[in-house]
Amino acid sequence: MKSREQEYKEIFIAEALEYFDALNRHISDLEKRPQDDQILAEIFRFLHNLKANAKAIGYLKISDVSHKLETAFSLIRNKELSFSDEVVTVLFEGIDLLGELIHNIDNESYGEPDPVLLRNLDIIVDNLSDSTIELAKVQRYNTSKNLSLSELVYIQIKKLDHLLNLVGELVIDRDRIVSISRELGNDELKSVSSHLNRITEDLQYSIMDARLVSIGSLFNKFPRIVRDIATAEKKSVDLTMSGHDIQIDRNILQIITDSLLHLVRNAITHGIEKPENRLKKNKSQNGNLSLIARNDRENVLIQLSDDGKGIDLNQVRKAIVERQLLPAGAVEHLSDTEALSYLFEPGFSLAKEVTEFSGRGVGLDVVKNAVDSIGGRIRIESEKGKGTSFILQLPTSIAVKGALLFEVDEIFYAIPLIHTEQVVALDTDDLHEVGGVMVADIFGETITVVYLHELLNVKEQEINLGDKTRLKGLVQNIIIVSYNNRKLGLIVDKLYRQQDIVVKPLSKPLDAVDLYGGVTLLGSGKVCLVLDVPAVTRYFISRRQVLAGEQTN
Amino acid sequence: MPTKKGRTPETSEAPEEVSAVSGNGKEESAKVKTNEPLLHLIVFKLGAEFYGIKIEQVKEVTVTPTITRMPRTPDFVKGVANIRGDIIAIMDLEERFGIRPDTSTSTNNSSYTLVIEAREYSIGVVVKEVPQSLNLTVSKMDKTPSFLQDIAVQENYIEGIAKVDNRLIIVLDMYKILSGDEIKQLSN
Repeated sequence: MKSREQEYKEIFIAEALEYFDALNRHISDLEKRPQDDQILAEIFRFLHNLKANAKAIGYLKISDVSHKLETAFSLIRNKELSFSDEVVTVLFEGIDLLGELIHNIDNESYGEPDPVLLRNLDIIVDNLSDSTIELAKVQRYNTSKNLSLSELVYIQIKKLDHLLNLVGELVIDRDRIVSISRELGNDELKSVSSHLNRITEDLQYSIMDARLVSIGSLFNKFPRIVRDIATAEKKSVDLTMSGHDIQIDRNILQIITDSLLHLVRNAITHGIEKPENRLKKNKSQNGNLSLIARNDRENVLIQLSDDGKGIDLNQVRKAIVERQLLPAGAVEHLSDTEALSYLFEPGFSLAKEVTEFSGRGVGLDVVKNAVDSIGGRIRIESEKGKGTSFILQLPTSIAVKGALLFEVDEIFYAIPLIHTEQVVALDTDDLHEVGGVMVADIFGETITVVYLHELLNVKEQEINLGDKTRLKGLVQNIIIVSYNNRKLGLIVDKLYRQQDIVVKPLSKPLDAVDLYGGVTLLGSGKVCLVLDVPAVTRYFISRRQVLAGEQTN
Repeated sequence: MPTKKGRTPETSEAPEEVSAVSGNGKEESAKVKTNEPLLHLIVFKLGAEFYGIKIEQVKEVTVTPTITRMPRTPDFVKGVANIRGDIIAIMDLEERFGIRPDTSTSTNNSSYTLVIEAREYSIGVVVKEVPQSLNLTVSKMDKTPSFLQDIAVQENYIEGIAKVDNRLIIVLDMYKILSGDEIKQLSN
């Protein structure tokens, strides 16, 4: 895997080369049609983008030259500089210099840009009226230029969706072939199918990876948006952001873009107070808005917090009654969290006036629907006078996930392959009772083993994790999982195949149950529970501690 | 036969007893039609008592599908079931409220599931006999007796008690069935 920085750099170079090509094309056009404002505007835009991108990533020479060129073109646009032969030559040379700088980004020995050329650029920018200063001739050696094509292609997301679907189908067929080859026992077929297996997997992850974008691509739009809304509302807002590098499926990001924008608008128009009111309340004059993204298990959390006036729960309760969602008597018994959840009801708004930016009847229900549609969750935390936070929990990818299927006590379970180390079958005799648990020597490593039926189905008071007489049969199927570098063997009743599953998150109220990361539907229509390995491990540790505690007492 | 219902369950399947009751209700409502709103309940039996849920809270009634048990959840959670592609939690209210199962009725295997649409989620509630539909005027329902409210502040899921033909129907507020404590219990 390439580092993120390397990836950014490659994207920058590819884009910069595109700008360079476009600039060359446009300036040639401009030479023929110097009066065409549209071409001028385009050139302006390319130079401006190039300058901003180069500055952001730290290529100051490029941003510097772009800036000089931009200034020159702005003078031309304002008719303060004529697009004459002399100037044209300098501008062409300036653009060539840009190309040279871009091509030599990695070339340590390239050295400094030609000082004569830089001076010429300065002359045309600074000395408008003074034509006495001669533009020095620049020595050009590289008259023959290399032609090169861009390293970057744009692709429609629709095509990526299609690819992902195709891979999904391929994976199913792959599984079928793998299982057939296992049955037939033909060595050649086996080696082909295992190769197919690896390639399909690579393909699947490559496509999933190609769909990931960094959240920064959305976050970067917010400073400007926040500024505009704040200005219109006559408020001052400081925006802090973190987690630009967190990766998420492009479609998921697309779906929540409007929601996030809506929440940001709300926070500024309804959350953050006017500067004079903030000062009265001993708050800083500028409101604070923070937008934070981080990874959480397999999800991405996006938290938007403001330090504004918070949500007035009494007002919410009153609005619930006014809108006849609940009778007055019932509202008093609502917990704060429950009351806040009414904010997601269609048409529920506390806004009294419609402004340019908020309160047009598009409520939080739209936000909630968007988040629901991708299997995410949203919740509000708010304290009157202190501020409000919206927490969005989003899946990283909508794509399928590899999992191992098995059965314990006639219930189907799946464990995501990301947590499984290996699968072994051991004689019950090879399991040993040590210190209240079972251990086994598996390929030279002593691993703690637990009977899942005992851990999950036996009454908590009667659990005995170290009693191998409770095991059924002479041979035990063990799935070795790892969490935090600690391995745990899980004994299951029946082991099935590996399969790619689409995990559905558990809906409320079951989402509060840690042990399960979600559920999936099997081909037969049966429900299969997806075990959350970290939670199972934690549960095992806590049970062990309870049992050890009982022994010492 | 699964009695799949939308928001307007058919009353035709209701046994005569209930039809008679709703007939009474109609008569009564005719008198006071202008100022007394009607209450439409889905009535079912838990233990030996009749319980009712407002029809707005019931999304559908179906024959109980295969339930997949979920280990390490409270006893009143029977498990999860796949209802038309949605995977929802199935609850046993007898367990939830500590109601003695009615031993007098024969234990027939067919049971029904009411799919309840709460604010943020749907849950299924299993009942043993076919649920029935019942109309009555709001005045037939008393608010929860005060002592019930006093002793169980956390459990005021009983919205009121309706009296119809010498029969008591305990009207539940399903929105309160799973709140606060239960969710805490789930996350143990």
